[in-house]
Amino acid sequence: MADFIPEENRLNLKVVFYGPALSGKTTNLMQLHSQLMPERIGELMVLETRDDRTLFFDMLPIGLKGGHGLDLRLKLYTVPGQVQHDSTRKAVLSRADGILFVADSQRNQQDNNAMAFGNLEENLEKVGLDIEAVPIVIQFNKRDMPDTVAEDELQQRWAHTPWSPLQMASALNGTGVVETFRELLDRLYTVADQEFRLARDHGIERATFVERLSARGSDATP
Amino acid sequence: MRRLEDDPVLSDLLETSQIQRLEASLARLGLGQVSLSEEKRQGAIPVEFNLETVGWLSADCDADSLKATAELVAFILFFVAKYRLAADIHHDATEAGYAELQRKHKALQESEARYRTLSGQLQERVKEQVATIQKAQQELYESARTRSVGQLAAGIAHEINNPIGFIKSNLKVAGDYLDDLEAKLPDDRETRELLEDFRDLLSESLDGSSRIATIVADLKTFSSIDHADYTHCNINDLLKAALHLLKTSYADRRLTIDERLGELPEIPGNPARLSEAFYNVLDNAARAIPEDGRIVVKTATDNSGNIAVVIQDNGCGMAEDIQGQVFDPFFTSRPVGSGTGLGLTVARDTVRAHKGLIRLESREANGTRVTMLLPQAS
Ligand SMILES: Nc1nc2c(ncn2[C@@H]2O[C@H](COP(=O)(O)OP(=O)(O)OP(=O)(O)O)[C@@H](O)[C@H]2O)c(=O)[nH]1
Ligand SMILES: [Mg+2]
Repeated sequence: MADFIPEENRLNLKVVFYGPALSGKTTNLMQLHSQLMPERIGELMVLETRDDRTLFFDMLPIGLKGGHGLDLRLKLYTVPGQVQHDSTRKAVLSRADGILFVADSQRNQQDNNAMAFGNLEENLEKVGLDIEAVPIVIQFNKRDMPDTVAEDELQQRWAHTPWSPLQMASALNGTGVVETFRELLDRLYTVADQEFRLARDHGIERATFVERLSARGSDATP
Repeated sequence: MRRLEDDPVLSDLLETSQIQRLEASLARLGLGQVSLSEEKRQGAIPVEFNLETVGWLSADCDADSLKATAELVAFILFFVAKYRLAADIHHDATEAGYAELQRKHKALQESEARYRTLSGQLQERVKEQVATIQKAQQELYESARTRSVGQLAAGIAHEINNPIGFIKSNLKVAGDYLDDLEAKLPDDRETRELLEDFRDLLSESLDGSSRIATIVADLKTFSSIDHADYTHCNINDLLKAALHLLKTSYADRRLTIDERLGELPEIPGNPARLSEAFYNVLDNAARAIPEDGRIVVKTATDNSGNIAVVIQDNGCGMAEDIQGQVFDPFFTSRPVGSGTGLGLTVARDTVRAHKGLIRLESREANGTRVTMLLPQAS
């Protein structure tokens, strides 16, 4: 859960990239690290095995200073997608304020997507989070791959869930990554504003929140 | 406990001795007096990790070198922190995994215990069911037997009553005719003897007919054709009927039966079943005694109108080890073919059905005493 520390006028939020193994969670985070130029961005910490599989987690801290001096931090984590790391996944997932589910668009990966989403539901419950209440955005990655499920089909399939519309991305090429992240920031703002009165007490409007936390290096204003 | 998201402070990452070693190494690079600490000092610049100031660095050197040194220290701390975080989450995950394992283990043990109790209960239930089935079977057998005995008795009673009636009245009329004949016949000795003999024959026949009539009446009482269900029972009458029947069925033997029947109130009961119970116990006694043996039948009552029936014999008795089994269905100590082995079982069930008690005491070669207690209101 979000941590507000009044003495330091500081708010910590936690976003977790979840999804099946090899869907591109780490790649998403690496892309954010290289594409984003928010007010504050820390070092990308990657904890992986030799073959590039996430072992514990990856982490990227970003932040902004609010008009009234609020020190807002957003820590972005990825979980290890491999089935056997479930305990670690749970530990990383606990106290998440927002979730970005990275699915694999390839046709032969649909079962893995479903299993990973089921695992997310299960683990959310185990760490005491309500799937209805946590902001979740779903991204279908690897759109550049040859045998992917068509976007229409995917959108239709998820149309009647709270997570529609889906985000399409090709993290390897850097497309759709920031858009997905913005969508999550937008949903996260709704929840955070409700709890911490970001606009009223800290002078942080929705647009400020989304734009300043996801400013691109290319569209950064001097 | 530290959480994954908590930002580490300098002391979380490096021990005092490690900080001192780092300071000394930096000093040897020509930076003069170097100090790295969590408190901000005069002239110190921040060392950052994760957008967070983890320590303050000061040294006796120019600003550029100090900045470069701070970056170097931050670079080192990044890898230290990386290790720390990995170690922490590994610890958390293992701990959680272990806790989960223990929880599962406990759940498993609980469910195993549950199944064990359940299987125990199941065994109990099976035992109960078997007992119920046995009881039902036996009741069925019994009621069929009682019914058939009853039907037979009813049939015999009906068939015999009428002929016995006219035999008796005919014999009486025959006696009258004999009187008439006597007047018409010569009064010599030979004729007188003949007539006397004739009269004896007739009166013996009349006696016999009366006895047959009584037996039929007893049979009727015994099978209680008239009242099939619960009614007021005169226990003494039922016993007498059973005794009568016993004597009839052991006509080839002289049974010595000592009847000590006390004054009894009527009790509610099923006369047919009670008669059968008494007969079964008496039958057992009759089989146990030798030619010169005797059976004592006693009845008594208490203030509340409860009744005790005691049937005692001085026959062969039975060994202690089989006494516990005598009420078991189909148990018999007698040779195969001499009975179903249901006699005492039926007696016990009947007494129980009347909310009463039955007790058997026996000594080998001394005799057996069966006591039946029948409550006033069952
Ligand atoms: N073609 C293509 N490959 C991608 C894309 N995104 C990621 N990949 C590749 O997929 C592989 C796995 O990517 P990662 O980002 O390490 O996957 P992950 O979800 O972090 O995997 P785990 O850490 O094991 O859970 C890498 O070889 C990536 O280069 C994409 O959009 N298109
Ligand atoms: Mg990864």
